[in-house]
Amino acid sequence: MADHIEIGRLLRSETVGFVFGCKLDQIDSPSFGSMVRVKMDDHYQIFGLIYDIRIQDDGLVKQLITSDTLVNEAWLDTRGNRTVPVEIGVLALGYMLDDQVSQLLPPRPPLSLDEIFLCTPEEIAAFTSAGRMGYLRHIMRDQNKPVAELLAAHLKNTREVQEAEGHSEWFDAAVEELITLMKDDYPTLMTVLGVVDELESSQDGRLG
Amino acid sequence: MTEQQRSAKTNSGPLGIITGGGLKENLKARLTIPASEVQEGAFVVVDDKLDKWTFYGLITDLQLWATDPRYANEDLGGRLSPRLAKLLREQTLYTNAEIMNTLMMERGPDPVTETEAYFDWYQEVLDEKIRPQPAKTVPQHHAPVRLARAEDIALIFGEEGKKSFFRIGDTLEQGHPVCVNLDKLVQRSAGIFGATGTGKSFLTRVILAGLINHGKTAVLIFDMHNEYGPDDTASDTGMRVPGLKGKFPTKVRMVGLGRNATIRGERPDYTLEVAESDITPEDVLLLSQELNLRETTATTLDALRSSFHGDWFHEFKKMRSKATIKDEEGKTIAAPDSVQVWAEKKGVNVSAAESLHSKLGRLFNAPYIVEQPAANALQQMIDNLDNGQHVVLSFGDHEKDLDYLFVSNLLTRRIREEWEKRTNAYRSGKQGAPEPRPLVIAVEEAHKLLNREMASQTSFSTIAREMRKYYVTLLIIDQRPSQIYDEVMSQLGTRVTGWLGDSDDIAAVLTGLAGRDALRGMLARLQPKEEVLMLGWGVPMPIVVRSRRYDDAFWDELLKFKASARKNNAVFDELDF
Repeated sequence: MADHIEIGRLLRSETVGFVFGCKLDQIDSPSFGSMVRVKMDDHYQIFGLIYDIRIQDDGLVKQLITSDTLVNEAWLDTRGNRTVPVEIGVLALGYMLDDQVSQLLPPRPPLSLDEIFLCTPEEIAAFTSAGRMGYLRHIMRDQNKPVAELLAAHLKNTREVQEAEGHSEWFDAAVEELITLMKDDYPTLMTVLGVVDELESSQDGRLG
Repeated sequence: MTEQQRSAKTNSGPLGIITGGGLKENLKARLTIPASEVQEGAFVVVDDKLDKWTFYGLITDLQLWATDPRYANEDLGGRLSPRLAKLLREQTLYTNAEIMNTLMMERGPDPVTETEAYFDWYQEVLDEKIRPQPAKTVPQHHAPVRLARAEDIALIFGEEGKKSFFRIGDTLEQGHPVCVNLDKLVQRSAGIFGATGTGKSFLTRVILAGLINHGKTAVLIFDMHNEYGPDDTASDTGMRVPGLKGKFPTKVRMVGLGRNATIRGERPDYTLEVAESDITPEDVLLLSQELNLRETTATTLDALRSSFHGDWFHEFKKMRSKATIKDEEGKTIAAPDSVQVWAEKKGVNVSAAESLHSKLGRLFNAPYIVEQPAANALQQMIDNLDNGQHVVLSFGDHEKDLDYLFVSNLLTRRIREEWEKRTNAYRSGKQGAPEPRPLVIAVEEAHKLLNREMASQTSFSTIAREMRKYYVTLLIIDQRPSQIYDEVMSQLGTRVTGWLGDSDDIAAVLTGLAGRDALRGMLARLQPKEEVLMLGWGVPMPIVVRSRRYDDAFWDELLKFKASARKNNAVFDELDF
């Protein structure tokens, strides 16, 4: 199994999702559409999907931006030692209890300062293959989020993982489920499929 | 083709689910297979294991639907990759089928889990204690729908070779045999319809061959165009078409009209001549249109009958029209054997009598009408029919409407009277009076005899109305059913119809039937050849079939079936069953 990469600790949480923080120099690992997990104890962990990465300003940053010269030391110090964390929003997708994956919302959210790990390909494959793709509805629930791009990014990432695992049929099944869930919302579905299509063609172009 | 589609095609797997509908309107089913996999007229079964009933119906319409019309309006292929477009189409675009819910039958126990109970139930089905009945309720939501299997069709329409079931064709989709119950077919008058060139004559041959082979019914065929008795050549393919006489040489008697009649160069078994004394004034009145008779004709004919009784035709024929002689004073007067003298004596309008005499010239000159026929061919025909033989009356060279109308009506009247007499004797319990053999009279160009003007005067309409009261029914064959009097049409038990182009003809065929609107479209869209719609009282439910081909294979099968049935009977006899 790949190494477990810790990418931050929990700032705040609720049933449908949570926000964790990390330092600016940890920002290379998590990305929009990545799957993460929070280990609550040896039996219970929560899975989520990054939908937002937010870097807040503070007084020092404002001062540095308005200063005439920005010295390199100050820039490095602000990046490396800043006390304001990068805030990363995560949608809860489900949980695992005693090795049983559930794609329902977790019974209780993670607690402050719980460690957040980036999911390994095996974990992604295991979670997304379990059940009947019910977790996709959690992604579509909040229309204030960039649902189309988030779904597209998730499908792209997961498709790569599933195909590497030999599950080439996963992508079609996921798109079918997506269509089933969203077919009553024509504009959103067409936007999502448009983005998926764009990703597919850019991937095909790259492969070609 | 997906697994589901393949299953639907080969094993009659589910083709959709019930989504709505009712008893007044058709059932609606959402198809899970492409529309191209089923066709209008397909016989389907709503087969829900959770339901008490199994439902049988016909697909009467297919409609393209979308979960949102925008998916249908958008050119998905132009906007998305073929793969995504396909996935989207499969989920959002679909076909709805309308199903005419016609029959339902009590569902039996599960043959796997309740085998013993299933066999008991199946025995009751075989014993016809449990039969399909008209649909009086509807299936549940999401009940699976599938194409009928051979066993479903056998259950509803009967199994070929068993009892009196005769295969008339096969279902369109899967080619399962569809039978007609010959005993039931002849219980009421039946009709075979179709525009010219739709295979009406071939289908009629098939049915007649079935009836003759079955052997329980006598058949009298008025063969106006010499098609049914002798061998023929198909007008479209040029292929040889075997006649009924050639295939049933001892069972079928060919009768020619007129003493010297030949049928396609061959001598018939015997010839028929009409005795002048057999002609009644009503037989002449029937020809009013054909002979352009006046309204005064009835009065003149009445006077003729009161003057000469049964010899009226002979006596009238002998009279001379406008014949004169010189009297003793040299004055020109009407001859004593002139029409005028008779008319004046009887107080009949002279010009009306003269006109009638002139117009009846066509009958007076008909070579098959004689004062004294050489043999009593009519009695021979009746005896043949009574003895289980079948008679094909070929009109030979007398193919004119006048000959056909006159002879067919006269014979039918006489035969019907004979059957009525026998029926009354049988019903009154007269000693030794046997039950009359059911008789089917096949009439071509039926609209000429059963149109609105003539229907009330001919024996044919009487037979159609009486159903099988006197053991005589009609098999009418026609291309213009709209010309047939609707009261007669509504009495037809079984209707077998090929393609009809005229909307009036289509409406006429559906007269008096439930679900006319649904069937109308189906009838209009039949293939011009070999596809026929069977409907009416004589069939459990309407069904579109690809009619059986009238070829060597047909005869081989038909005669083989008979031979094998005989063989089985012989075995049973030996076993003292």
